[in-house]
Amino acid sequence: MIEVTNLFKSFGKLEVLRGITTTIAEKEVVVVIGPSGSGKSTFLRCLNLLETPTSGEIVIDHVSVTDPKTDINKVRAEVGMVFQHFNLFPHKTALENIILAPMKVRGLSRQEAEERASDLLRKIGLEEKAHVYPDSLSGGQKQRVAITRALAMQPRVMLFDEPTSALDPEMVGEVLTVMKNLAQEGMTMVVVTHEMGFAREVGDRVLFMDEGQIVEEGSPERIFTQAEQERTKSFLGKIL
Amino acid sequence: MFFRALPHLFTGAINTIWITAIAVSLGVIIGVIMGMSRLSGNLFLRTASRVYVDCFRGTPLLVQILLIYIGIPSLLFAITGEQMPINVYVAGITACGLNSGAYVAEIVRSGIQSIDRGQTEAARSLGMTKAQTMRYIILPQAIKRVIPPLGNEFIAMLKDTSLLSVIGLEELTRKGQLFIAVTFAPFPVYLGILLMYLAMTLSISQLVAYAERRLAVSDRSN
Repeated sequence: MIEVTNLFKSFGKLEVLRGITTTIAEKEVVVVIGPSGSGKSTFLRCLNLLETPTSGEIVIDHVSVTDPKTDINKVRAEVGMVFQHFNLFPHKTALENIILAPMKVRGLSRQEAEERASDLLRKIGLEEKAHVYPDSLSGGQKQRVAITRALAMQPRVMLFDEPTSALDPEMVGEVLTVMKNLAQEGMTMVVVTHEMGFAREVGDRVLFMDEGQIVEEGSPERIFTQAEQERTKSFLGKIL
Repeated sequence: MFFRALPHLFTGAINTIWITAIAVSLGVIIGVIMGMSRLSGNLFLRTASRVYVDCFRGTPLLVQILLIYIGIPSLLFAITGEQMPINVYVAGITACGLNSGAYVAEIVRSGIQSIDRGQTEAARSLGMTKAQTMRYIILPQAIKRVIPPLGNEFIAMLKDTSLLSVIGLEELTRKGQLFIAVTFAPFPVYLGILLMYLAMTLSISQLVAYAERRLAVSDRSN
């Protein structure tokens, strides 16, 4: 579903990604872990071209994302993204946040979009917050609305960029639950996170990144118990 | 004398208000175009906007007024050999509008830039185009932040229109001077002029504060 070939990304002289090659299958949940500065967020942001790769190729659903001729807006409509800081639109209510893109990008009528949004909000238990502005939501609620906003586009893939890192500890669980349910429904997901419990329980595969490269990858079971690379072991040793 | 001057000053103040209103409206139109050009991907637009802002912000309004009202007709006379005087209102408003546009351009630019990058990223990652992002996400938020500095710009321009008295445009200051020429009472009349300006600027800041409150929909966080 996603094929990444020899991806490089530099910011000026700083090489953040140094040759990433991997394939992500449909319905697979891939968890990307690694120390800060390892390039995992940059890797994720390259997948929907929020960062333009310096070289290399990304193909999503047989469409080359990195080809300049590709309409990137079409690709992005199929790739949902959830941010660390939620990035909800503060001048719009939760419902308006969710229905905007389906109306403007997918061309849904307001009624269709609102029905879809209400269904999704009900699923995550936030229907009573539909007409509330983001300002009056808790961090966990904001992130759940942000996930809903991405899902309302009915994307083929969901990218999560440290979705729980900005949350108070007691709110991490509610967001992870939403993500877990999503994985169980068969959503293809790429998740950058420090939540090792989530990686273990929900991930089909774990990528360990360091210094812009994938150092090691494999099933969570193998990575967490029998990592082969020294760097992987030392990283896991520090955080587990 | 002070009270006898008031009706004269009042008609001048009316002129000052509508001249300022038209000049700032012109300035807002120019400023929005120039401010957005400054942020465009097009190098020509960016440079043009920058040159415009630098020129009109970096030179005195008084000289700009004189150049447009006196300089341009004399240039046209030298070229065509015909006298083509500019209407004093047209010249005055044009000069003030062009000047105001440079300041508004900077207000618009900084207002747009003050919106968190994450907003653009969220909108674009949903598949929205640059234009849709600007229209539905960035501008509605930027407008709220731009209202207070625009109010300041209106107040500054209102005071600066007093410079138009040098080309004989009968706004508040000029009206007062004409009255002094008849009555030889500079102190009460100039004092009256000042108080008139003060009354106008205070009213505007009240209006701006009101507009700010009304636009302040809950967006303190995020």
